[in-house]
Amino acid sequence: MDDDVITTLKLLIIGESGVGKSSLLLRFTEDTFDPDQAATIGVDFKVKTLSIDGNKAKLAIWDTAGQERFRTLTPSYYRGAQGVILVYDVTKRETFTRLENWLNELETYTTRNEIVKMLVGNKIDRDDPEVDRNEGLKFARKHSMLFIEASAKTKDGVQCAFEELVEKILQTPGLWESENQGQKVRLGDQEHGGGRACGGYCSIP
Amino acid sequence: MAADSDLESEVFEITDFTTASEWERFVSRVEEVLNEWKLIGLSAGSVNPEKGEYTSGTWGEKCLDINFADFKFYITHYFLKQECEKDNGKDKLEEDSFPLAMQDLLCMNNDFPPRAHCLVRWYGIREFVVITPGTNCEAIISESKCNLLHSSVSIALANSGCQVPMFVQIQQKWRRVYAGECQGPGVRTDFEMVHLRKVPSQYNHLSGLLDIFKAKIGCNLSPLPPINIAIRFTYILQDWQQHAWPQQPPDFDTLLGGEVGGVEFGKLPFGACEEPIRELHLATTWPHLAEGIVVDNDVYSDLDPLQAPHWSVRVRTADNPQCLLGDFLTEFFKLCGRKESTEEVLGRGMPEEEGKENSDISSALSKLTEPAAAVPISKLSVSNIVHSARKHIRRHRHTDESPLKTDVLNSVLLYLFPDAAVEKSSESSRNRTAPTNTSGTAEQEKTPDYNLYQHLKSAPSDSLTYRLALCVCLVNYTYGGLRAVAHLWQEFVLELRYRWENNYLVYGLAAGPPDLRCCLLHQKLQMLNCCIERKRARDEARKVLEGNRGRERKVSGGGPSDRPTAEAAAGSTREVSPGKSWDSWSDSEDEFFECLSDQGEGEAPHAEGDKEGSKVKAEGRLHPQGNMTLLNSTEPLYIPVTQEPAPMTEDLLEEQSEVLAKLGTSAEGTHLRARMQSACLLSDMESFKAANPGCALDDFVRWYSPRDYVEEEVEDEKGNMVLKGMMSSRMMIPGNMWVEAWESARVTPARRQRRLFDDTKEAEKVLHYLAVQKPADVTQNLLPCILHAAILKLKEEESVEDIPSVKKSIQQVISQASKLLHTLSHDYKKLEDFINQLMALETAITQARSLKAKFATCEGGTAEDTEELEKFVSSLLEDPEVVVLGAGQGPAGSIIHRLFINSQRLADFTSDEAALLSPMEDEFGLEKKPGGGSNKVPDFPPPAGREILLRTCVPRPAPYSKALPQRLFCVLMKEEFRLAGAFSSDTTFF
Repeated sequence: MDDDVITTLKLLIIGESGVGKSSLLLRFTEDTFDPDQAATIGVDFKVKTLSIDGNKAKLAIWDTAGQERFRTLTPSYYRGAQGVILVYDVTKRETFTRLENWLNELETYTTRNEIVKMLVGNKIDRDDPEVDRNEGLKFARKHSMLFIEASAKTKDGVQCAFEELVEKILQTPGLWESENQGQKVRLGDQEHGGGRACGGYCSIP
Repeated sequence: MAADSDLESEVFEITDFTTASEWERFVSRVEEVLNEWKLIGLSAGSVNPEKGEYTSGTWGEKCLDINFADFKFYITHYFLKQECEKDNGKDKLEEDSFPLAMQDLLCMNNDFPPRAHCLVRWYGIREFVVITPGTNCEAIISESKCNLLHSSVSIALANSGCQVPMFVQIQQKWRRVYAGECQGPGVRTDFEMVHLRKVPSQYNHLSGLLDIFKAKIGCNLSPLPPINIAIRFTYILQDWQQHAWPQQPPDFDTLLGGEVGGVEFGKLPFGACEEPIRELHLATTWPHLAEGIVVDNDVYSDLDPLQAPHWSVRVRTADNPQCLLGDFLTEFFKLCGRKESTEEVLGRGMPEEEGKENSDISSALSKLTEPAAAVPISKLSVSNIVHSARKHIRRHRHTDESPLKTDVLNSVLLYLFPDAAVEKSSESSRNRTAPTNTSGTAEQEKTPDYNLYQHLKSAPSDSLTYRLALCVCLVNYTYGGLRAVAHLWQEFVLELRYRWENNYLVYGLAAGPPDLRCCLLHQKLQMLNCCIERKRARDEARKVLEGNRGRERKVSGGGPSDRPTAEAAAGSTREVSPGKSWDSWSDSEDEFFECLSDQGEGEAPHAEGDKEGSKVKAEGRLHPQGNMTLLNSTEPLYIPVTQEPAPMTEDLLEEQSEVLAKLGTSAEGTHLRARMQSACLLSDMESFKAANPGCALDDFVRWYSPRDYVEEEVEDEKGNMVLKGMMSSRMMIPGNMWVEAWESARVTPARRQRRLFDDTKEAEKVLHYLAVQKPADVTQNLLPCILHAAILKLKEEESVEDIPSVKKSIQQVISQASKLLHTLSHDYKKLEDFINQLMALETAITQARSLKAKFATCEGGTAEDTEELEKFVSSLLEDPEVVVLGAGQGPAGSIIHRLFINSQRLADFTSDEAALLSPMEDEFGLEKKPGGGSNKVPDFPPPAGREILLRTCVPRPAPYSKALPQRLFCVLMKEEFRLAGAFSSDTTFF
């Protein structure tokens, strides 16, 4: 079944507590939504195979707890990630304003500098948004990230977010390694230089 | 029409090629190649190549194999790549214009190109085809074969109408003799060559060569059209004795002679041990002379190099001069491949504890539980221990002498552990040193280079790891190679163990958890420091508590975000002598975070009892959380003192994430994962409960995950708006992990909890890891640091010289190193190439340095001169040949002149005796060179090479023929005489 998988990618989901990181992941991996999903403790881990342009990529996605207290623990798992999804809650401005902190942390703990970053504004199904789409867009542009608004509850943008991210990683040379050539891609550190950070941002309505 | 062609084909004449000879086949093959390369027809191109274009432009080359019977030849097309040639060419495409090659014969823009194919130099052509014998084929020597080959070319050119000159190489390859031909409409140029060992005396000057040229063109017009003459004399300077190589190799013995500090060990050596510039070639050129303007015959010559209007210089660098940094790196790198273990290298008789540890850690652990040696603490010092340890080793290593001498070893260890130097007032000073290496904030202000270690995955340049790398490198190179390295490593590990056992922080490591951006060895050392710090904090806290039993620790202030932990709080009591560990934690299983064996209070009541038992004494409070009070009482909400999560090195982390990933993605897996990671949560809950008697989960959530506590205004029964808060729904799911953990959490302050991080076990693991490293493992671990150091050294040295090309290369080298060193396992073949690159950079810098020393301004030089000289030197390094502004009169020119004079004087001095033995020595042109004034020794040696280029345009072969370009290039050297002539003739009117 995994025969035609061209590579295994390590992705990371980070952001403040309660913004819906685990829900996004659950929606993506199992296409379900649980309003009462328990708060993550430490890190959690899910696997999903995604097909992009006929190329299958196996995604090992690490979901992290957002509580400040866990932040001494979770960054250890940032190592070797090729892509990161940074999530905020559009109905809670504070989760947006703290994004800079998360980027700093990412900068400090990731081992590669060309890691592809995606900003996701979650919970757009809610009718009490505090963060405007344009603000998210602006932030993403400033930090060379991909950007999308999504709702884990209504499915909006979730699949697209992961697909875009993976596509971008596959387009970045040197960021991933084919499983057929050379050794198996490992979850751990596999630093390879090359390709610059993705400079674009996309906006999918 | 169709019928017509049918008819025609019926009477088709058959041409029979079945009997074609090998020769015919060869010729047709040559034509085929010319066709294939599209060299047929008028050769287009700009009329005259730009000045210097042969050097600045790029040359193309195409090559094919062709066979003459079973004899293999290469046919190669060389051409100057010219842009927009088509546009320029079109206008000039006249029917009867000469082939380009003929025009090139007379063009003066590219005489004496510094770097070009010899045929380009001799004939000035920009495009040609050469047929040479194959690699393993013998040369074409017999005259008939040469003629046959030449004829083939002639026929091929005529048949195909190709106007590109074509050559065949004849005679032995080293002689570089070519014969060739170029054909155009009604014109033909023959390329002929004479090559002799000795210069015939009648042709050893300009006038003799002019005679040959005139005789060859056989023109009887009167007056003869003017002959254009270009001359270049090349002088070689090899003797640099007047300018001794400026750098003295460092004297390693001095390191031990006087004071030995850290400085000597902290540096990598740099520079060449020998002159990196082998030769300086001065080319003096007279680019444009007419016959009769200069006299150069067998008795007199006007050609004084000092008067030449044009000077240019090139330098020949020594191949791989011995350079110190390169040597150090190579030797260090060699160690990476050694297989021997420390034990094998140092022989039997490892110190007892080492041997024991290798076989069984537990015995080492039990040793730790033994009471400490009965030495008063004040007498304990690093050096003491090291000394005694060394004595210990020496006792076992009876016959073998220690690879490292005691004084060397001592100075290395002092450099590595400078805090041990303050021996007398040991305790207080040692405590002072600890904070200096924890000053993390100062790091950011350091130079941009400081963060280089992150790219190279090495270690900060002021860290112990980095210094260790430098020492291992030095010790390896200077003090005895593999054995010395093994010895140093053994001592190093001993010192670390000593520090662990005696609660001394390891000096020179940033505080905090292992920095994953550094090399593994650095992480391990940091890990050891974490262990020491915790053990020490625990011991001290215990002591304090013992002293003031029952006293509540009061810590005030601090924002909600900064949450000092038990360790940090305990750190405030660091003035207390750390001394010997209070307890030797031999059994980690039952260990507590901050254990008090004689704790007065009994087991704290469980959570259920807390509700009414608010009188229960609170424990382990850090500070209040703002103005927050507990929900069920008016007591302020206290943030508890908590346990720090376990620091991890990358290998541990790898293990753990593998374990977590292995649990799979099922719900159970997720649950299990959460459970595995909930130890920290549980510990925090217990601490919280202890600090806040009577608290509820809601209180905990308000501190721990504030967004999970929702507050909203609701109208109460009286119609007032009141703030009502509750936990988020996800926290209220019955049986979720948080509730579960809360319920199972006991009321225990952090210091009485089981340790989340077993420093004893982790420290022993690190020490074991270090102890079993082979010397090769050590060097492999340190390789990133040493490459880091080498790059920094190159950068530093380059910045002194300011060489743009090297600067650029260093940037490339860094990004390359970053790729090489970040891989999980290093590619040693690539790393070797990488080290060679670093060596090349070092050589380039030493070359620059040598040239700068040679071309330093003299005292009377103006600022302008200095600037010009600097420019001159930097272009000497970048360009193949550099023009000397002002020729012999310019600032560079006068320095070169002086260099030659000095070298001549010296040669004269030494040849006085030599002259007695071989008086014939100086017959070569020496006497013709006008000397500098009355001095009997000429300023310049006889030229190593003389090149004379004669050009004219005369009708040939008959006076009524077209006037065509004629050229003769003469090379006169001590052991070579070459005439390369190109003589054109009119094939229509002769």
